[in-house]
Amino acid sequence: MNTNIATAPLPRTFHLRPAITDLRQGLAAWRIWWSLGWQDIRLRYRRSQLGPFWITLSTAIMIYSMGFLYAKLFKIDLSTYYPYLATGLITWTFISTIILEANEAFVENTGFIRQTCLPFSIYILRLLTRNFIVLVHNILPVLPILIYYKIAPTSAGVFYLLFGLILFLSIGYSFGLLLAMLGSRFRDMKPIVASLVQVCFLLTPILWQHSMLSPKLQALMNFNPFYQLIQLLRAPMLGQIPSANTLTYCIILAIVGLVLMVIVLARCRHRIAFWV
Amino acid sequence: MSPPYCVLGVVTMSTIKLSHVTLDFPVYGANTRSLKKSLVSLVTGGSIKQESNSVTFVRALENVCLELSSGDTLALIGHNGAGKSTLLRVLAKVYTPAIGRVKIKGRISSLLDLSLGIDAESTGYENIVLSGLLRGMSKKDIEANKKNIAEFSELGEYLAMPVRTYSSGMQLRLAFSIATSFSPEILLLDEVMGVGDSSFMEKSKQRMTQLVAESDIVVFSSHSNDLVRKFCKKALWLDKGHVKAFGLVDDVLKAYDAANPTAA
Repeated sequence: MNTNIATAPLPRTFHLRPAITDLRQGLAAWRIWWSLGWQDIRLRYRRSQLGPFWITLSTAIMIYSMGFLYAKLFKIDLSTYYPYLATGLITWTFISTIILEANEAFVENTGFIRQTCLPFSIYILRLLTRNFIVLVHNILPVLPILIYYKIAPTSAGVFYLLFGLILFLSIGYSFGLLLAMLGSRFRDMKPIVASLVQVCFLLTPILWQHSMLSPKLQALMNFNPFYQLIQLLRAPMLGQIPSANTLTYCIILAIVGLVLMVIVLARCRHRIAFWV
Repeated sequence: MSPPYCVLGVVTMSTIKLSHVTLDFPVYGANTRSLKKSLVSLVTGGSIKQESNSVTFVRALENVCLELSSGDTLALIGHNGAGKSTLLRVLAKVYTPAIGRVKIKGRISSLLDLSLGIDAESTGYENIVLSGLLRGMSKKDIEANKKNIAEFSELGEYLAMPVRTYSSGMQLRLAFSIATSFSPEILLLDEVMGVGDSSFMEKSKQRMTQLVAESDIVVFSSHSNDLVRKFCKKALWLDKGHVKAFGLVDDVLKAYDAANPTAA
């Protein structure tokens, strides 16, 4: 049997059409990923009394206790700090969980991938669905803060929030797919990403404020993708409009992500089944 | 997932065409599948690059040509590791071969792993719905199927319970009932014919026979000469990824048994 084993360089391939088909069929199969995403949530909290509202409760505890402490530490007024921290933290949870879970998106679906020809993008859409549901549960404890401090959403704010969400999800979609491919090919990615994400949390203005930085560092912070992604959603939640800088950055990120995703998918799609 | 092709009221035929298919399995060992190596090769440039850009392959299929059309029932025979399951997965469009062409027309249903998509924490009914969705069925078809599956599996009220409470036999019944409740155009089978205790075994064998009869094309991998003779008209003998023989089932089996006297 050893005669069948050989070593050879990998042939370079590029199949654009199957890649596009995968993305198209994945979006069209919304029933599948929507159900799978919901199933993930239901299963995580099956047999618990609160169900998915555990997400709400644990977020509430974190926001209210941390907010109180850090407002004192930074000597910032609670009316400013509470809304800032609450919206920033839930946005960060949304971003970081997608990044962490994207690494495993294909590996944890090995069974499906080895048996069926479902489009690969389905597994990313499932992950986005699941995390979007978590986000909605996370918004609940933020609402009392926004109401109490009278931060009313403006119509422009609502528009930018929706726009930001769509932009954010498309960024998550493309980079999620890229990470999933990387994560299934290189098993070192998971610990690498996990430690990077932890560092990024501290390097991004979530607990502390952007305005605390010197002007020079503030300018530098504009290159931090996490800062821009958080601003994209945090600003409209706080009744502000995201800066032109943030919007431009995120739109470019989305375009770069989509192009990269198509290229890498065209090159590697047929190999994913061997990687998982 | 594609709808049946219908021209002038005549359903056109399902076809399978493999031409010169060669499939290499890249083997990523604990050492080779690491980012470090790729990074090292990036940093060191030419010297190591040549080596780390190469991957160890196992050639699972070599130069396989195969043409099937409606009404064909094909048995895949051969030793363990001959490439039978790999070929089934190529037909299921799981593996895309690097060399050769695969052309498949018709809705594929693969019963390679019966328990695919069965979730232990969900109830039997939830599993039925999800499996239906995964097979590209509409909500309406799934509803219609529910009763059918409930009846066939004889699980009754257990279907409202989480699958983890089932005995292993009951889980198999559910999986089998779900997997065989969809009539495919192209049916891919890997050694599954009957499951469960003796009464259910008989029933599931009947169901399988019916499913084979309803399908346009059946590809069936098996080690049992009796089953192969019963279900298939044609046979393909694979040996180390090569096609050793392809033709009518009796001829191929005769050649196979002659080459492997102990297997007969």
